[in-house]
Amino acid sequence: MIKTMINTNETEWSRWVINAEKHPDKDAIVHWVAGEEPFRWTFSSIIKAAESFAVGLKKRGVQKGDVCATVMRHNKYFYPIYLGISSIGAIPAVLAYPNPRLHPDKFRQGIEGMSKRSGLDWILTERPIADIIEPLVTEDNSTIRGIFFPLEWEKDLKFEGKELELIEQIRASVSDTDPVLLQHSSGTTGLQKPVLLSHKAVLDHVANYGKAINLTSEDKIISWLPLYHDMGLIAAFHLPLAFGIPTVQINTFEWIMIPSLLLEAISKEKGTLTWLPNFAYNILADKVHEDELEGISLESMRMFINCSEPVRNKSHKLFYKRYKDYGVKPESLCACYAMAETTFAVTQTPPDTEAKVLWVKRQSIAKGVIELNGHDENSRVCVSSGKTIEGCEVRILDENGNDLEEGMVGEVVISSVSLFDGYRNYPEKTAAALKDGWFYSGDYGFCLDDEYYIIGRKKDIIIVAGNNVYPEDVEDLVSHVEGVIPGRVVAFGEDDEDLGSEQISVAAETKITDKEEHKKLIMDIIKAGMSDDINIKKVYLVPPRWLIKSSAGKPSRKANKERLVVKKENIKWS
Amino acid sequence: MITEKFKKVILDELNLEDFDIQDDTTADQVPGWDSLNHINVILAVEKAFNVHFKGIEVLKCQNIGALQNLVNSKLEQK
Repeated sequence: MIKTMINTNETEWSRWVINAEKHPDKDAIVHWVAGEEPFRWTFSSIIKAAESFAVGLKKRGVQKGDVCATVMRHNKYFYPIYLGISSIGAIPAVLAYPNPRLHPDKFRQGIEGMSKRSGLDWILTERPIADIIEPLVTEDNSTIRGIFFPLEWEKDLKFEGKELELIEQIRASVSDTDPVLLQHSSGTTGLQKPVLLSHKAVLDHVANYGKAINLTSEDKIISWLPLYHDMGLIAAFHLPLAFGIPTVQINTFEWIMIPSLLLEAISKEKGTLTWLPNFAYNILADKVHEDELEGISLESMRMFINCSEPVRNKSHKLFYKRYKDYGVKPESLCACYAMAETTFAVTQTPPDTEAKVLWVKRQSIAKGVIELNGHDENSRVCVSSGKTIEGCEVRILDENGNDLEEGMVGEVVISSVSLFDGYRNYPEKTAAALKDGWFYSGDYGFCLDDEYYIIGRKKDIIIVAGNNVYPEDVEDLVSHVEGVIPGRVVAFGEDDEDLGSEQISVAAETKITDKEEHKKLIMDIIKAGMSDDINIKKVYLVPPRWLIKSSAGKPSRKANKERLVVKKENIKWS
Repeated sequence: MITEKFKKVILDELNLEDFDIQDDTTADQVPGWDSLNHINVILAVEKAFNVHFKGIEVLKCQNIGALQNLVNSKLEQK
């Protein structure tokens, strides 16, 4: 077992430097690109490169406490840039590089909204999107002070003379309670909630989580997860860097096009750990050609950890059936419950043990009580997300805030040594979610035999391939489409069994009755979604006053989904 | 040159009635062709033409015309 107790007032930078001294030639980050030889950063070479970027940042006026947002594609220099930001006491925030389908105005508005909330000071990006971002710097009331293109900077700079003395003073002044990173919770770009985490929160968390997964110096992480997501950033980046173990970073967009890349990397690098959202198990089980598996061995894997969307037993079974002959062991199929607000993990199933599965009577869940049901077809299959990790406490509360016993369904409420202090510059959201040191997750779940099962959401969030989409955002977009009656739209998630995830559906009222014009309207609605990088999979057009309202006077997502998806009601156009 | 059969396979897979697809059309311009559906489109094309692509070959396609050319070259190799 690796040392998991942290020193008092230790910062992440000091931990990384110690790791570079202890294991100078050990792989730290293996940068994976399809069809190329991977680039390997060692623990010493990445610190040296980070120092060079730190010199560049200081020269350009970046100060301790400044928030530096990175908006970059998969690039081997991304990692030392990130470390370089941290090394001068500034705060890195990883943002997603815009997808080509995202309209530039939407992207700019998203960054603008985020900058006002998160207080972004500097943007570190690439030349191709400079024109989109630059107007934000000159705008009145903008927090953004400048844009940098660090990939174009010199790569072998060092602090010398007075600059060296100064940077040493700055590093010594950084406390373990100072912020080390800014990550964003779920939501579309402009509405994401910023979560600021301290060195202590992150180091405590990786120590506690490291224990939960029995992390050893022999472990190697393989990941295609984006680093703007807490699962990628904490589990597959901060965790290995803090513990001094290697991580292999695959390009997210290449992985979704060539899912076998993950298997190739595991096989060649002898990976032991990976974190995957549920849909990835289906993609890997169904969408990989047999000939791409020639010579692949997955025997080295200790844990495939399912996290960030509801865990489906069927997905685990499909994955195991496909890969058992390649060395996947049933006990390697694990699960975790995590969120940005608690740094990352809250619960984890034990290593070397397959995640527990319960068959629960559907009617009993509706009543809020768990009654097991053997393997009956009418059961809801619930997969355990495991026990609380050290440093975390979980309660299940009823709607009046009373604690519920085991086997009762309620809201999952969490306390953690790595809990955030609140959403940055968002007091109203903080007050709603954080009460007396407990984070109200908005997830519904239950506890049985000390293991936690997450079964739903209090709010109508749609989880598409691990990404949370707020229906309000989709409804707002669609409401602006010509031909749609404003405000008379509902968006909801529809289960996609093949994908092992949800897809976005929309029901919109329109006065148009002509069938040909309906086709055009459907296309316009889908295109409206595309402009905000939201893929609307299905559109239901309905006549005026068709959508049922909730008691709050707005069209009800739940009731209308029930009519369209479950009852499949006929829609009559007069 | 995009063939009618090739276009129809793509449109059917994406549940689109019609959409103008030219050689220089890129996947992100086609409604529904997002990263999640990309692999389904590729598998549908492979099945319709009874060909098999290597992942890296598809990754190198800059537009839909290049994917059509890849199909053509696979068919010629048969």
